[in-house]
Amino acid sequence: MNIIEMKDLVFAYEDKTVALKDVNLSIKRGEKVAIVGPNGAGKSTLLNVLAGFRMPFSGKVFVDGKELTQSSADSIRRDIGLIFQDPEDQIFMPTVEEDVAFGPRNLRLDNIDSRVQAALRATGIEQLAKRKLHKLSYGMKKRVAIAGILAMDPKVLLLDEPTSGLDPRARSELVKLLKGMDKTMLIATHDIEAAAEIVDRAIVLNVSIVVEGTMRDIIMKKEVLDQAGLEMPPVSKLFGVLDSMGYPVETLPVSMDQAVAELTKVIEREGRHLHAHVHEHDHTEDAKHAHKHIVPRKGADDART
Amino acid sequence: MIEAHVRGHRARDEEDGSAESSWFWQLDSRVKIVGTFGLVVVASLITRPEIVLVALAAAVAIAAISRVFPKRLLVAYAAAFPFIAFASVSVFLFSGWERGFTMLARTSSCVILLLVLALGTETFDLFSGLRRLRVPGLITTLLMLTFRFLLLLSDELERMKISRKARGFSGGRSLLDRNALRVISFTAGMVLVRASARADRVYEGLKCKAFERDMKPWRSTSVGAVDVVFLASFAIIAGLLAFGQYGALS
Repeated sequence: MNIIEMKDLVFAYEDKTVALKDVNLSIKRGEKVAIVGPNGAGKSTLLNVLAGFRMPFSGKVFVDGKELTQSSADSIRRDIGLIFQDPEDQIFMPTVEEDVAFGPRNLRLDNIDSRVQAALRATGIEQLAKRKLHKLSYGMKKRVAIAGILAMDPKVLLLDEPTSGLDPRARSELVKLLKGMDKTMLIATHDIEAAAEIVDRAIVLNVSIVVEGTMRDIIMKKEVLDQAGLEMPPVSKLFGVLDSMGYPVETLPVSMDQAVAELTKVIEREGRHLHAHVHEHDHTEDAKHAHKHIVPRKGADDART
Repeated sequence: MIEAHVRGHRARDEEDGSAESSWFWQLDSRVKIVGTFGLVVVASLITRPEIVLVALAAAVAIAAISRVFPKRLLVAYAAAFPFIAFASVSVFLFSGWERGFTMLARTSSCVILLLVLALGTETFDLFSGLRRLRVPGLITTLLMLTFRFLLLLSDELERMKISRKARGFSGGRSLLDRNALRVISFTAGMVLVRASARADRVYEGLKCKAFERDMKPWRSTSVGAVDVVFLASFAIIAGLLAFGQYGALS
């Protein structure tokens, strides 16, 4: 059964700017879906409509079978956990555990302590429970915001640009965290690589839905990427070049993990093993023949065989 | 009090570590509120100059032993001083120097005590202390949200100031510099618009967490022996001041 259903959704701002037009979208329970698209494509607006903060101009939105209306918005919001792009707008209380407990207390849920503990554990910030929020890093605040929503046990998580503003390590940790979560998710993002790691399906939105499919399907279509103002991830570009040079690329990887999997597959198929071989040289007269071979320290002998 | 909090908010980050370990910071917020307000009420009723001086000395001593950062206290006091000075000068002009001086010392002692309370307590603890002292939830929640909005305003103002400076704005040549006034008025308008937009997002953030109308504190603290000692000390000081004022009069 679909947990989210949108039928011919149209949304326009007060100045008559149409932000969403004829959007038809179904999301199954447990499915993870990314919405990608350029700035102003309506990604955040779509999430705000689903969370009941904006009412559709026309069309229908159903969340877990309930139709979104002005009167049902509050109760629908209990099933939806919206995580903002900027965690600063979503954290209110002085300490981490107080903030995570804020939602469940408002909902008058039972076992608040255990809910808070579980949410902190799920987001990997158990050790920060007593810490003051204003002293945490941006990445940690993002985790607190996610924990605060998880503690309310929503049926669907809506994430608005979850990886924006994060350093590479915090980004990859967050990707791992979201990938491991067993929740229905709708993620609005520009980060194609992160989305490819997390989601099962992606939708390219540019006011209307341009195309939907797997991330790989989407990046293979250059005209779709152009239309959506998206760039092919560097790792896909690299494998595209390798492909054109005759390297046996079966499927174009979108993320680094997929690239490693693809490489491993090729190596195993060829009955070989990985040979890390960096060939450095320059073209000055003196150094013309100064080639350097670098092999990994560990297993270097094996690599040379 | 709120203004002092907002001003000190950023500087606080690095100073918090040592301030939070002070005995005053550790006290139960309800005890601090009751003790401080009790002393402020007594101090504000004193009229005898020598007792007012004792009250001022007591306030300064409390500020010193509370381990509130002196620089922050002085900055906050300086912000309040024009109002104190205005009241004192008015009294001086109409009733003479002795009354004017008494007004200055009395108001200063009250302001110092309130600043010690404000700077020596976590903002949220202050509001939750009020809530637990049975102040209606609507009032404490409004205070908390107002404080949050002031922080947003100050945050946006800071960004705009940096942005102005980065583009060469130095504040104008004089108070009558029309171009500078124009820039400042645009900044003020922009700060309000941006703070209002962010306030909307914060409200949506609250709604996402099923907020209705009351921000109740979750973890409750209990009053311990140190709190009782503190309250007793403040009661003794207040009693001595009252005795100095009214006992001597009778």
